[in-house]
Amino acid sequence: MMDDSVHSPTRRGTPAPTLNVNFTLNQQPISLEVAPNAVLLDVLREQLGLGGTKKGCDHGQCGACTVHVDGQAMNACLRLAVMCEGQHVTTVEGLAREGELHPVQQSFLACDAFQCGYCTPGQMMSATALLNDARIGSDDAAVKEAMSGNICRCGAYKNILTAIQQARATLADDATRRAGEGTP
Amino acid sequence: MNDLTQSTLAQPKVVGQRTPRIDGEFKLTGRAGYTGELSVEGMLYGYPVAASIAHGTLERLELDEALAMPGVVDIFHHANFPRLHRSPNSMGHGDQVSEVRLPFEDERIYYHGQYVALVVAESFAQARAAAQRVVARYRQETGAISSLLDGAHDSHTEGELLEDSGTTRGDPEAAFAGAAVQIDAVYHIAAESHLQMEMHATLAEWRDDGSRLVVHESSQGVFYQRNAMARIFDLAQENIEVISHYIGSGFGNKLFMWPHAVAAAGAARELGRPLKLVLPRAQDMTGGGNRPASRQRLRLGADRDGRLNAVIHDSTTETSLVDRYVDACGSATPSFYACDNLAVSQRILALNHGTPCPMRAPGEVSGIFALETAMDELAVALAMDPVELRLRNYAHEDPESGLPWSSKQLDKCLHSAAERFGWAQRDPGIGAMRDGDEIIGYGMAACTWFAGRQPCQARVELRADGTLFAACGTQDIGTGTYTIVAQTVAELTGVAVADIEVKLGETSLPTGPLSGGSMATATTLPAVAAAVRDALSALKEVATGHGGVFAGVDADSLTVAEGALSDGERSHSFAEVLEAMRLSSVNGQGSSAPGEEKKQYSFRSFGAHFVEVRVDPSISRVRVARVVSSMDIGRAINPPTARNQVEGGIVMGIGMGLFEKLDYDPRDARLINANVADYIVPVHADIPEIDVELLDYPDFKFNEFGARGVGEIGLTGIAPAISNALYHATGKRYRDLPVTIEALLADHASG
Repeated sequence: MMDDSVHSPTRRGTPAPTLNVNFTLNQQPISLEVAPNAVLLDVLREQLGLGGTKKGCDHGQCGACTVHVDGQAMNACLRLAVMCEGQHVTTVEGLAREGELHPVQQSFLACDAFQCGYCTPGQMMSATALLNDARIGSDDAAVKEAMSGNICRCGAYKNILTAIQQARATLADDATRRAGEGTP
Repeated sequence: MNDLTQSTLAQPKVVGQRTPRIDGEFKLTGRAGYTGELSVEGMLYGYPVAASIAHGTLERLELDEALAMPGVVDIFHHANFPRLHRSPNSMGHGDQVSEVRLPFEDERIYYHGQYVALVVAESFAQARAAAQRVVARYRQETGAISSLLDGAHDSHTEGELLEDSGTTRGDPEAAFAGAAVQIDAVYHIAAESHLQMEMHATLAEWRDDGSRLVVHESSQGVFYQRNAMARIFDLAQENIEVISHYIGSGFGNKLFMWPHAVAAAGAARELGRPLKLVLPRAQDMTGGGNRPASRQRLRLGADRDGRLNAVIHDSTTETSLVDRYVDACGSATPSFYACDNLAVSQRILALNHGTPCPMRAPGEVSGIFALETAMDELAVALAMDPVELRLRNYAHEDPESGLPWSSKQLDKCLHSAAERFGWAQRDPGIGAMRDGDEIIGYGMAACTWFAGRQPCQARVELRADGTLFAACGTQDIGTGTYTIVAQTVAELTGVAVADIEVKLGETSLPTGPLSGGSMATATTLPAVAAAVRDALSALKEVATGHGGVFAGVDADSLTVAEGALSDGERSHSFAEVLEAMRLSSVNGQGSSAPGEEKKQYSFRSFGAHFVEVRVDPSISRVRVARVVSSMDIGRAINPPTARNQVEGGIVMGIGMGLFEKLDYDPRDARLINANVADYIVPVHADIPEIDVELLDYPDFKFNEFGARGVGEIGLTGIAPAISNALYHATGKRYRDLPVTIEALLADHASG
């Protein structure tokens, strides 16, 4: 029934065309050759070896692949890599600075705001974006609404909320301290 | 200073104390390597093509276009995939698989999503693009069985009755017939998806000219996969290594290997290159495991005082046409309440689905929904407080085995959770409690999960650099196993958790248990403790031997504290002891297994959930507003991670109660909602106030740590507490899960 003539392990398809794309990734300029249909998520994970950004659905439904593009939280699975030309992309690998965890990472650790850890990078990227988003209120209900694009199947939602609000307080304290240091 | 050599763990310093996860920083910085993001030199990518029908035959595959796509290396299917062997599929022999049929074994299509081909290409994007160009021609047949609940299977006489899965005591039929008060109701629960965040993933690499296989798999049981692969590929076990360091959770569907892993390893061997295969979400949902739908009839007979004299629990659950899975709904029922007359039966019905598998609290969570809803119905029939009804039927010993409980504090759970919830303020009238436009409903349920142990081995090294190393071939699926192993080593040595390295999830390590059934903690820690003690014994031997820092001292007189040995006058760190003899390390081996205790006691965890729902009748909206729970799990080794487990179980229970349903098309058994948007799970905005209390009654009859396990119990009992609260709010009894807005609307319209 099967046509054996089409089966040949040595056979290869036509060579793949590529496009050049230049953007800033975790504060470093980067120049890449990518397939026109390559998705940002797959380029991060497979081409650049940045596995922190997770694939949970590949359909923009779970939030595990959330990254920042020009400061906005976005699903990396819904963007072609070539769309990032000239943009600033930040992944979970870019959250910590000079070896020190970001306040959101610190509060996720302190509050045990994760279990398996697979949705966690996406949760933290959404959290850091919403903490910088003046449109989103600071009350629990507003945070829960804003975070509802990030599914945590382990169900660590209670601790995630606590961690976000703790990070908000830490960031506010840091800002106050910096302002204080700035005065003569 | 206490001597840790003599520690009984009755008054621990590290065990039982809040300890941040030792793998936390890896997970929080993106450095934890989950299977899907690993890569090796020369790696290819596999992307399966899945059947678009559920019942029929694959007539032919049209592959020319796909094979000509960029980067495509090969396409495997029935006609060219290597002929392999089936696994014996034995739990006892450790080679159980999730679906015994091999990939591409024949051209019959048994379920939607069954793999019909595997496209292999140089990149993921290329493999996916080519898979979408494979054309499969089928001869679809009518008569697909879509669901136990599709309306065509209403009879309790259908399916296969499993004679060895039932139990009977007393004369339940006669007792029920003569009971003053009877409850007789049927309960349906839809099939659910585990929907673990990380899809099934395999990276298979053949080494040494194809004589050795190294597999990275997102797995809850690396040894089971190794043993099964040895049979399937006809290799010696020692020539296969299965590795699973980080797992994006599993909830049961990663306990046993699925056919995708066989497809990946088979293709990798044929092509002579490593191959990575990450299932797309839709295929993960169709062919990567599900909790089968269940249909249960519960009959309760009681006297006017509410004392049960008959419990009859008949269940039917789904299985597939290519394997045989039993979701034992009635397994907790015989031990739950004191009742002399009881019968439990189990049937299975084979249909056109991917094979079901255990999903968190398998069987019991479904059975407890039926039992605890029926108990609420009985309380209503008796006009009795449902908490009082449960206390009146309290099982002070295990009514099934007749053995005493090792430790049972369900009464304390009921009282404590009721108190914190404010149960005494409940007005039992239907719809009697309101807040503005919302009707408030209060409901409660008791819950339980068995406590079990498996055999386990572990190894511990004390190193000259002052660090310690512990290894066990179990896994950490997100429950915190890495951390509690480190706590155990710290407890028994006095070395800081930060100086302890833990390695799990490799078949090259001492044999460890499945991460499942809430058994990993009680199984693993005693073996780790034995290994620590063995290593300390080796260290004392070195210290007291010729040239040792305690040469001539009686080894048994040395005490252990804070990472040092002491003879009462002098103290030397482990590192000093080793360096004095130019040793890099000493090694300790440990093993443990369940023993005689099972003949003396029954072991179960118990708990109680109290739930407040709020119903807005104008839009038929239900929200869970509050959950207050008390759990008797023995000792929590790491209280924050244990509480996190229970809270997560509660969240999953809200999904089971209100949202989760795999929707199979009744016409052709295709899975309609095989994606994360249409299969609804709780998100942040759905989460109520959750107040979980872990009672602290260490169960030392079970093991020296007093831990019984915590992974499943939080999920059990939530769905009935919700449905019971809905009854209180609306006067409607919801016996089918999930209770969707459609069901509420239908009742509202008719009522």
